[in-house]
Amino acid sequence: MIELRHVTKKFGAGLAVDDVSLTVPPGEIFGLLGHNGAGKSTAIGMMLGQVWPTAGEVKLRGYDVTQNRRDALQAVGAIFEAPVFYNELSARRNLDILSAYTARTPARRIDEVIDWVGLTGRAQDKVRTYSHGMRARLALAQALLPQPELLILDEPGDGLDPEGIHEMRQTILRLRRELGLTILLSSHLLAEVELVCTQIAVMSRGRKVFQGSLAEARPAADWVRLRTQNFAESTRVLRAAQLITAERDGSHVRPAPEIPTDQIVACLVAGGQRVFEITREEPTLESFYLDLMKK
Amino acid sequence: MIWLQLRNELWKMFGKKRTYIGFGMFLLAQVCILFLLRYLHGPRREMAHRLELLGYAPEQFMSGLTMAGATLIPMAFFLLPLYAALVGGDLLAKESEEGTLRMILARPISRLRLVWVKWLAGVLFAFLLVLVLGLSGAAVACSLFPSGGLFALIPQEGIFSVFGAETGWEKYAVATFILGGKAVTIMGLALMFSCFNIKPAAATILALSFLLISDIIRQIPYFHDLQHWFITYHTDYWLRVFIDPTPWPDIAASVCILLGFNATILIVGCVGFQMRDIKS
Repeated sequence: MIELRHVTKKFGAGLAVDDVSLTVPPGEIFGLLGHNGAGKSTAIGMMLGQVWPTAGEVKLRGYDVTQNRRDALQAVGAIFEAPVFYNELSARRNLDILSAYTARTPARRIDEVIDWVGLTGRAQDKVRTYSHGMRARLALAQALLPQPELLILDEPGDGLDPEGIHEMRQTILRLRRELGLTILLSSHLLAEVELVCTQIAVMSRGRKVFQGSLAEARPAADWVRLRTQNFAESTRVLRAAQLITAERDGSHVRPAPEIPTDQIVACLVAGGQRVFEITREEPTLESFYLDLMKK
Repeated sequence: MIWLQLRNELWKMFGKKRTYIGFGMFLLAQVCILFLLRYLHGPRREMAHRLELLGYAPEQFMSGLTMAGATLIPMAFFLLPLYAALVGGDLLAKESEEGTLRMILARPISRLRLVWVKWLAGVLFAFLLVLVLGLSGAAVACSLFPSGGLFALIPQEGIFSVFGAETGWEKYAVATFILGGKAVTIMGLALMFSCFNIKPAAATILALSFLLISDIIRQIPYFHDLQHWFITYHTDYWLRVFIDPTPWPDIAASVCILLGFNATILIVGCVGFQMRDIKS
């Protein structure tokens, strides 16, 4: 659905995107992560034909964006960090205006989209009377108008309160479930990305430093959190039984390969240790991301 | 589609309160000038004196038509460029500044089409602005002064003419209509600057500065012989309608030069807009 091949973008002497290749397959919710200035927005700008690549090729839906903008963007919707509209006009008129940049849109379709995002009854109100959350919904409505196959969301959670973020997450999942869209989500909110995305790419200083599934980003847990009556004595018992290979922080042990947690518990109980808690420590996307950034 | 997009540009333009500032200020300024002309003796005495010197009866030419013309000229010199440049400067730079341009350009419309549609909307606005200027001036002047002939006095252009009522109204109507060409040129110049990565105010100021510099140089007596090389000589072509007899070939030459100038600035704007990166 999206394909970047060896894409580079320079602004003067500065390198904003450095030889990035990226593929977003159809039907995925794809997370694009990176610190501020990592090049995410520039990459999205190039995908939408707003920023000219210095080198490389950008394709959307199989069409080159720089050569064939009309076909590439025909079934694409986009939402940017701060939803901005023509404040003195009604929401309905804003949708009329924006949809006309793609194609003539029947009034019925506009009503349908307004209903889908839950703005029925407020569509004739001027946008300046809208809350941030309502603007976010209107932004989604304008993105859905051209009946997109691909939705590009550039920091859509910025400025939203916790309820707004929850709503955004549910909406993204609903979009894929009900409309079968491919979604590219650029975000700082790692927890949100973790909850909705199926694949991710991480950018750092203009370069892509990781691309893969969330499962690849979160390798199997190899540390176990252990709370016992006496941690030092417990680890001595486990080491003697060759069930663990390491310990850390007075609270974690690393089981030997193929050793399940129930065997650890059985060993400790047999050794006279009282076990209060034992949990496999799942690595989070955040820890993975921070490790990548340190490299 | 282009008509739909043009209609949308007009919705956007007339949805903003600042678009109406120009119309409101024109009316206010016209009312002020015409009330001063009506109720202060000095200016009317001066006008009557000049007419008497030429051998005309002042009561025949101290008319609503003459006063409408007398208000049209300063408006066209000072206020019209300001409002035409304000609107032209806003057309793209304001969308860029507010972030709506990114939303537009996430859609399959080409950049050239966008500039073209905005230019067309600007042209319609420019003509509407001069139409309102001409009509409101005539309406207010006729309500305060009697009917009669036209006395056109434009010293900076060396114009000093009198016409009967019928010919006078024709001249006033034609001059008002073709004043639209000046408004379009100023709007187009500001739009050209607006196509580049600058603030709307900067686009407006650059357009006005360009015109002022052209006019300042043209007004220096040593450059008099070169005045045809300055764009403001041609943007003031509408004043020559008040010369008797009207120099139509000269006016047509200026119209052709303005058409070329407008085409050039539109192309420069399109190229600038096509080449730039649109970033938040």
